[in-house]
Amino acid sequence: DHNLPEVKEYLYKILVIGDLGTGKTSIIKRYVHNIFSMHYKSTIGVDFALKVLQWSPDTVVRLQLWDIAGQERFGNMTKVYYKEALGALVVYDVTRSSTFDGVTKWKNDLDQKVSLPEAWGGGSIPVVLMGNKDGCSNKSESEMIKYCEENGFVRWFETSAKENHNVDEAARYLVSKILEIEQRNQGRPRQNQNGVIHIDEDQQYTPNSCC
Amino acid sequence: MTDVNPAVSSTSKKVFWRRHTSSLPGGAKPVDSKTGATKIVIGAQYSYGETLNVVGSSSNHSSSSFETFENFEIDQSAQQAQLQSGTMEKLKGGVKPEIAELVQDPINSIKFIKFLRPKKTHLSETELTNYNTRLLRFNKFKDVLQSSNVDLAALRKLSWSGIPDELRPMAWQFLLGYLPCNSDRQVATLARKRKEYEDSVSQAYAKGVAGLDQAIWHQIHIDVPRTNPGTPLYQYETTQQCLERILYVWSIRHPASGYVQGINDLVTPFFQVFLAAYIDEDPEYYDPGNLPNEVLSVIEADSFWSLSKLLDGIQDNYTFAQPGIQRQIGKLKELINRIDSKLAAHLQAEGVEFIQFAFRWMNCLLMRELSLKNTIRMWDTYLAEGPDGFSEFHLYVCAAFLVKWSDKLRSMDFQEIMMFLQSLPTSHWDEKDIELLVSEAYMWKSLFHNAPNHLSRT
Repeated sequence: DHNLPEVKEYLYKILVIGDLGTGKTSIIKRYVHNIFSMHYKSTIGVDFALKVLQWSPDTVVRLQLWDIAGQERFGNMTKVYYKEALGALVVYDVTRSSTFDGVTKWKNDLDQKVSLPEAWGGGSIPVVLMGNKDGCSNKSESEMIKYCEENGFVRWFETSAKENHNVDEAARYLVSKILEIEQRNQGRPRQNQNGVIHIDEDQQYTPNSCC
Repeated sequence: MTDVNPAVSSTSKKVFWRRHTSSLPGGAKPVDSKTGATKIVIGAQYSYGETLNVVGSSSNHSSSSFETFENFEIDQSAQQAQLQSGTMEKLKGGVKPEIAELVQDPINSIKFIKFLRPKKTHLSETELTNYNTRLLRFNKFKDVLQSSNVDLAALRKLSWSGIPDELRPMAWQFLLGYLPCNSDRQVATLARKRKEYEDSVSQAYAKGVAGLDQAIWHQIHIDVPRTNPGTPLYQYETTQQCLERILYVWSIRHPASGYVQGINDLVTPFFQVFLAAYIDEDPEYYDPGNLPNEVLSVIEADSFWSLSKLLDGIQDNYTFAQPGIQRQIGKLKELINRIDSKLAAHLQAEGVEFIQFAFRWMNCLLMRELSLKNTIRMWDTYLAEGPDGFSEFHLYVCAAFLVKWSDKLRSMDFQEIMMFLQSLPTSHWDEKDIELLVSEAYMWKSLFHNAPNHLSRT
């Protein structure tokens, strides 16, 4: 058969940001290597990881994950690290409310320093909010949905890198959003739209019910 | 349950007895130290008859407790009775018998240091040569350190090529300017500085953890358990509590920078090196909970002051916007342009920016790239370089370090370079690799330092 479908490859730079000690590195290690440890060294500057997704039979997505140090002192470096990012995961620790306060700060920092390419119409990059660690969020799901709408997050996930809960799902959701934007703006419809849309919708959204 | 694990305690006893077999003169005896801080044991001066004469070199120090020991001749059974009568409870595994003296007057305690001949009976010619070389070096250091007025220039010159493990704690404290060169002032200065630190801790912790600045304390509290996570020493609660106090007190005393991540790494070489002075075991595997409290607080205080001295020299690495690091990264880039233009061009073509990898190199002084043991050896040279060691000389070390991987890096694309630079293959590195690195750095520094025109491209 000479009519093999053309495989499309996408390269996306994704930022992983949030306050110090919220589990950004743990999320990436879980997502990329499927491992977990209680004690990764603190990230200084930026760490880099790569994840390749066979998104659909004809679509491969390569994710460059930029794990960015969370301490405020490093904050003036973020502009350099954000350059050309197409999406972000903002992480907070559900057991430490101060890290949720940091979420707005990180989102504002993103909106000020990075935007989508002009070819895609510019504007904010899609951002997924992750409430990480095992523990109980004191926020209800409806509260969080409202929060995301008001603050420009595409969606909220309660995740646990330790229990391997919702990490793949959150990342996958973010990628689906970026792909969607790319398609929309490049005006070249995917040959097999099912690949994108259905995976997204099939993903069982599991609100945390530990409380 | 505070009982000592019987298995552990019997092992440590066995080890202890083996060290004190009949061929060894001297022993241990509880002594009230003059400071009143330590009521432990002071050991005897060991002289190994079958090894080369090491111990009995001249000392300008006089110490009443030492004189006690010179006359302290007891037979084996008396010694054993002494040790069994209660001293051992205080001297848990691995603690050196002469600890009281070590704590109070480290320089005068150099005489206690046992420079051991390799355990084998027959040494090959190479082994014998190595041993004699080390011994010669050891004695050179000893002469400098025990002088009534330590010649810092001479100490620097010697230390540049590495300090013998046994003498590193004292040598570092001189090089840092913590221990006064004048021997008359050493004991009093140490006592005063240690008290000052203890007072700072008491003051800060007067209302317990709840009374601390929560924002600062929290960051430290999160980072301490993930400091050197692969090394047992840093997993012990005692260690973690020490580090937490050191970092907290340092942070509140330096509000312009406060606690910055990475400083937790920088304190560990001091803690480990100073701990090693008091024990006969590998510090990386040692539980400092075994130490008498007085000893632990001295290690903690000395580590605090040493960290303070180190950070004094690189303070603008950690203040707002970290200008010191920014400047260093800029200089590193210029240096690489000059010494390895092909690499510089390749990095640029691939879109790799120096800040993406070198930020960590500057912020943690390459401690994330090298093992603790290698870092400690490298700091011998940094400290010997003088006040600029951790800033200027470090810059040249970073340059030498980067061009070491030039061939590999030039065959890689952006992603490969980024991945490679964050997990460099240095786990097998030993002293020789560090010595080569600092020699190369020295060469680059001689070529380019104070010759800014060499740096800019014409």
